[in-house]
Formats: sequence, structure tokens, C-alpha cells
Amino acid sequence: MNKPAFDVQATNAASRKAAPRKLSLKERYNLMTGDLGWETTYQPMDKVFPYDQFEGIKIHNWEGWQDPFRLTMDAYWKFQGEKERKLYAIIDAFQQNNAQFNVTDARYINALKLFFQGVSPLEYAASRGYALAGRNLRGVGARVACQMQAIDELRHAQTQIHTISHYNKFFSGLHENSYMFDRLWYLSVPKSFFEDAMSAGPFEFVTAISFGFEYVLTNLLFMPFMSGAAFNGDMATVTFGFSAQSDESRHMTLGLEIVKFLLEQDPDNLPIVQHWIDKWFWRGYRLLALVAMMMDYMLPKRVMSWSEAWEIYFEKNGGALFEDLARYGIRLPKYHEVASKEKGHLSHQTWATFYNYTHATAMHTWIPEPHEMDWLSAKYPDTFDKYYRPRFEYWDSLAKQDKRWFNPGLPMLCQTCQIPMLFTDVGSDPTRVVSRESVYRGTKYHFCSDGCKDVFDYEPEKYVQAYLPVNQIFQGNCGGSSLSDVVNWCHVEPADSGDFAQSEDRANWNRWTHADAGSEA
Amino acid sequence: MGYRLTIEPLGQAVEVEEGQTMLDACLRRGVWLPHACCHGLCGTCKVQVAQGEVEHGNASPFALMDFERAEGYALACVATLHDDAVIEADVDEDPDALYLPLEDRQGEVVRLEDLTPTIKGIWLRPDRPVEFQAGQYLNLYLPGIEGPRAFSMANGPDDELLELHVRRVRDGVATGWLHEHLKVGDRLHMTTPMGRFFVRKSAQRPVILLAGGSGLSSPKSMLADLLAEDYPHEIWLFQGARDRTELYFASHFEELAQQHPQFHYIPVLSNLTADDPWTGARGFVHEELKRRFSHDNGATADFRGNQAYLCGPPPMIEACIATLMQGRLFEHDIFTEKFLSAADATAAARRSPLFRTL
Repeated sequence: MNKPAFDVQATNAASRKAAPRKLSLKERYNLMTGDLGWETTYQPMDKVFPYDQFEGIKIHNWEGWQDPFRLTMDAYWKFQGEKERKLYAIIDAFQQNNAQFNVTDARYINALKLFFQGVSPLEYAASRGYALAGRNLRGVGARVACQMQAIDELRHAQTQIHTISHYNKFFSGLHENSYMFDRLWYLSVPKSFFEDAMSAGPFEFVTAISFGFEYVLTNLLFMPFMSGAAFNGDMATVTFGFSAQSDESRHMTLGLEIVKFLLEQDPDNLPIVQHWIDKWFWRGYRLLALVAMMMDYMLPKRVMSWSEAWEIYFEKNGGALFEDLARYGIRLPKYHEVASKEKGHLSHQTWATFYNYTHATAMHTWIPEPHEMDWLSAKYPDTFDKYYRPRFEYWDSLAKQDKRWFNPGLPMLCQTCQIPMLFTDVGSDPTRVVSRESVYRGTKYHFCSDGCKDVFDYEPEKYVQAYLPVNQIFQGNCGGSSLSDVVNWCHVEPADSGDFAQSEDRANWNRWTHADAGSEA
Repeated sequence: MGYRLTIEPLGQAVEVEEGQTMLDACLRRGVWLPHACCHGLCGTCKVQVAQGEVEHGNASPFALMDFERAEGYALACVATLHDDAVIEADVDEDPDALYLPLEDRQGEVVRLEDLTPTIKGIWLRPDRPVEFQAGQYLNLYLPGIEGPRAFSMANGPDDELLELHVRRVRDGVATGWLHEHLKVGDRLHMTTPMGRFFVRKSAQRPVILLAGGSGLSSPKSMLADLLAEDYPHEIWLFQGARDRTELYFASHFEELAQQHPQFHYIPVLSNLTADDPWTGARGFVHEELKRRFSHDNGATADFRGNQAYLCGPPPMIEACIATLMQGRLFEHDIFTEKFLSAADATAAARRSPLFRTL
């Protein structure tokens, strides 16, 4: 029984001497990419890569970079090509079947608008950011990884534009996302987030985006939109989601690899990385306020509450990650406990703000239906009925008297996250707005939280340059002095804004799907 | 009639039975391939078939795309052979692995000894010599008990008798049986050798062995092996125990330390009263480890240039890994064999994908 095995080994040893050993996949890949990293001679390396040292990160040996991709361009095109074929076949079928009418109801499209206005442009920004980071990192493994991710992100932006362009034929708010992204006040939140990362050094960028965004927070950002689409019958969005997700696992691996690499290269990197984790956790968490509102208010069929998602994806999964990182001496991000405390308030406060200012957005808002309010009460037993239901019911009563409440003022924005100063002190008094300030060179700056103030105080010279939409409007840089001037300048059309009840979207939907044929008869 | 499967880049060949998956055949012959779900869903075990015909079995179309099938990829965990075959797998050649084949043995119990109040030593004479690499384990089959139990060999690879250390697990059926019913003269069935916990001698670095409880067995074997070939680098053995009654083989290691100047033996006791006359190290293994490798009176430690081998209860392993990493020794140079009781396994489930092997 055991005899043949010894024979096999013996013959094997003999044949090994005869034929040269084949290289492993890893060795072959290393050989193929290794030549991309030569030492420059016409110019010193420090001049060719001028931005990879000022952040204080010390790299002693780029060979320590474990390339998680190990994918050749040739194989990459084949994989992506097959994904594209599958996706576009489904989009074709979706369009031919008018499947946009299979979504739960026209309110759902507003979740798609938020995604298309606020997230798809981030995919494009990520493509630019990785191209830039790849150019500035002198290690060849990191450079190739960034280059591939840059192409991935471009593909994501493109497939999203192609998929959603079909919805643009039927619904408002989807027509000019690049203008809106650059100009609309609430879209300056994701825009400034990414530009903060891109205007940092290359190591901070990859830590912020690959680790913080793609790894720690992805299940709270991209995934809720995709599972929301699945629950609400939007098969086109689900499919580009699957297609993008197959790249995402690679990106997440890259995020982990980067943090390990930095921490293992030099002990001096630890406090720098910890600072970035603190900063980008808080920046990312503030951005997620938009997702929280989408999950709890904008999906006609809800997947799970924001509070539940936070518990599963940050407190539990993130907790396991930070237990592992503790081996390196990394601790949980600063203010994580504030984020957990806010989980019962975040979505309600954000939705209420959008309800106030919906005349200045490119999407619609509404008061939740009674059964939806009950769902919120059940999911948020400690907060919804006490603090938020009365407010929505009051606004609902105003709307029923034809006095739908719109806030005619402009909100003060946080200098760091650029969200209106809407967050309250949930620890001591959830009805009081948190207001922090710092004075820098004689000017006072305002913040929504200690987290945002910390970010500013560490690099004030960077954040005093922030382009705050409200301040720009008051300075006369946004098309004019009236609301309609500003909204026009943002390429928002009248049909894009306002309460859902009075919207073209709703009227069209009812006409096309005969949704209220019963009530009219 | 089986087929012959050659695994590149290792150049090693194994026999595959009709209907047996490639992964199963490889693992049973000591060839480790990356794998995870073992059901054709995750794609971790994807290999390129360079020669021969394979049957894809239950490979999911998402884990193995159409074009990959056309290009000759297969999932080793579900693929079976129709022919002799050659595959290329994503494995690093481990210059220290001997890839010893898994074999069945009978062993006769020749000696039993209570090493401590909770740990029993068992010495077995195998019916034929057992080849293994110091640190590896065997699977022991016990009469009337379902499924085998894993125990590391504590003897050196050249010793005639197999030596096992069995800690009695509370309510443990198998360890309870071994402690109460096993007698000299009994015969036990086993399969051996298993595991990838062995010293990477080719790295030619100092070795730190960290042992807690009955986790002493692998380090004891590794030490015997290293000293037998006069390993030219320093060897440290930290042995953790609650108190003196749980500290075993101490005089054996002290003797070895006197004979071999490159070997340092450091027993550490964690549960002593303040007035105990013990003059050795007190506290936990990771604390003493940090003190011994510190250049600044214990504030920080520096383990760079060493290799560490850890064997013991999960809390000790975890504390030692953190100490080593904060002293600049990382995954590449840290090796563990996790011994999990059913209770430990659920506690250890909370892990992120940050580390591959730790």
C-alpha cells in the first residue's frame, strides 16, 4: 500500500535532476513585474518620486510588498471582458423588457439618484486617485496594484453610467451627475471627502481609500445600495453591483496588504498609520450619514436598519479586524464610540435635513407612510417615537394643509465634512446641536463634532481652503442671488426637486403603471 | 487502478484513486494546496491543468468561469481524474518540507507516566518506523470513540518510541479515556505524520520555542532534533506553567542547557504566591519573552532576525503573537500549531482575514 508512494518519490527525484524545475505562479509573476522597477540613472530616484517621503512613512524594503493581485494584464482583460459581456447582456434584456417599471415604487428611484449623483462620481475620482498614487509610489508591486485598481474604478464608473442612463429616459434627477457632483451642496460631502484623500500623499491616499473606504466601510457604503436594489426589484443595478463586487474582493485585499506593509516596515510608521485610521474612519463615517438615510427612509422595501448594519459590519466585523490589528499595536479608531452612540439618531436627523432643503436638491423627499413609521419605531425603540416621529407627523399635518415646510434659509456647514451642522449631542441631550469651533489666523471655523474638529486642527492650512457651497453661494459665486439662480447653475431642473407627492416622477409612474387606477375609479 | 498526479512547481507526484478529488489526494500525501470551502464555491484551490483530463465535478460557474475551463483551469477540491495529469498550483516551494506520505501504523503502549496532575505521558512502539519532521502530529484512533484525535510527537524523529503528552480536557471523552482506561500493552491505530509545524532550518536563524501546558510536545521534539544535528544558532525554550506541579521535564531541559551552550531554557510560572521560594521567572510566557529580548528594561523588545514557534493554549498564543509583532517579528517568521478543543474552536472563530496563517 505504501510502497508505490516511495517509488513515485524516487522516480520523481530522478526526473527532477533531468528537467529544470518550472517556476511557481508567484515566481513567474515576480519575474514578469520585477523589471518594471528599475533604478533611474538620468535623474535621482528621489526626484522621480518626489512625494513618497514627506508624509514620514519609512519603507526599507519594497520587496516586502506581498502583491495580492498576481494578475497579468492578459488575464485581467479576459476576466473583465467576460464580466462586461454578462453585464451588458443583462442590461439589454432589462431595457427591452422595460424592467424599470418592476421596481417597488417610484420613490426607490431616489436611492438610485443619490447613488448616481454621489457615489458613481467617486468611482471616477478613485480611478484618478489610484492613477496618481501609482505614479508616486516607487515600489513596483504597489504601483502595478494601483494601476489595475485605477482601471477597475474607471470600469465601475462607466458601467454605472451605462446602466443608469436607461433610467434617465424615465425619471428626473439623473441627467447631469458630473455638474451636480461639482456644484450641489450635499454632493460636496462625497466630493470633498475624496479630494481630501487625493490631495494627501500617496501613502495616506491608499490607507484612506484602500483600507478605510474599501475594506473597513465598504459593507456600509456600496453594499447597502446593491442589496437595496435587489430588494426593490432593480435588477440592472444589482448586476453592475455583482460585476463591480468581483473586483472589490481584490481591492479589499489590497487595503489589508497596505496596512500590514506599512506597519511591518518601520516602528515609526505606527503612529502615522494610527492617525490616518482615526481620521479616515471619522471622515468615512460622516459620509455614511447619506447611506444611513437611504437605508431607513428611501427604500420602499427595507433590507435592514442603519443601526443593525452598523452593529454587524462595524461593531462586529470591524471589531474582529481591530482585534487582529491590535497585534501590531493599532487600536480602534478614535470616536468609534461616538459613532455607535449616534446609530439610533443618524438617519432620522439626516432625512429631516433633506426634507427641509429638498427644494434645493436633485431628488425628492417625503414623510414616511404610517406603516413605515411603525417600522422605524420598531427598529429604533429608544429614539424614533421620542425625538423624530412627532416632527414628521407635524410636517405631515402642514403638508396636508397645503403648507408643506421648506426651509428658506441656508444651513451652516461643517468646515471638515461639509455636512450641515445637524448632528446633536446624543450622549447628553439629543435635541441640542453639537457645535465646535477653532480659530485659525484670526478666522473662526465651525465643526459638527469633535472628530471633524480634530481633523481640522491637525492640518488647518489644508481645510481652510475647503470649498463650502453655502459660503460660495453667499459670496455670489454660484450663479446668482436667488434660489432658482443657484439651482439652475447646478444644472438642477425644476422637475428634479421638491416633495415626491407633487413630483413628475410620481405622476408619470402612476400613469405608466396605472398604480392609482383603482383610487381614480 | 489509480492515476498519477504531478504537482508543479514542487515536482512531486501522488497517486489519485478513481473518484478521489485532487485536493484530497494531495492533502493525504502531505502536499498542501491552498483551499477553503472544499465544495467548489470559493475558487481558492484553482489550479492549471497542464496535462491530462479532469472532470470538473461540482465547480460553481461563478468560481470557475467558462473561459477558465476552456483554458484548462480546475478546482482541485472537486475535480477528479480521468487520466494521469500534471497541474500547476499556486504554492510556494517550502524548502524545509519533506512532504512525507501519510501512512497507517499500529502502536503498542509500552510506558505510561503522569507527567503532571493533568498531563499524561504515553510511549508507543510503532509496528514499523515512523518518519516525521519534528513538530508534526499524528491522528490517534481510540476504541469506541468516533473520529481521530491529534497529538504531536514529543520525541525526536530518530527515537525508537513515539512519545505523546495528553492534557486531560474537562468532560473530554477521548482524553478522559486515555487518562483512565489506557493500559500498557494496549494497541492503538494511528495515521502519521501530519501538519506543517516544523522548524524552517534553511532560514538559518536563531529559534525561539514558546510552549504552554501540553503544548510542550512539539517544541520538545524540535529541540531534540536541532540539538542532535548541532544547530549552529541560538535556541530558546520558554516553558509556561501555572505552578511547579505543572512544570514537567524541567530537569531534562536544564541538563540539555548545560551540555549545549547555544540552548537557553526559561521556565515561567504564572500562579505562585508571593512567598513562594521559586527563583525563576514569574508571570506569563509573553511577559518573560519581552523582558529577555528587551534592550531598554522591558519597555520594548526586538525579535528581528529570529524565528518563533508557538504551541499552547489560544490565550498564550495570542499574547505571544502580539508581543512578537510589537517587537518587529511578523507573520513570515512566526509559526504555530493550533490545538483546539471544541470550546476553543468557537472562541477562536472571531478573526478577520488580515493574517493568512496566524
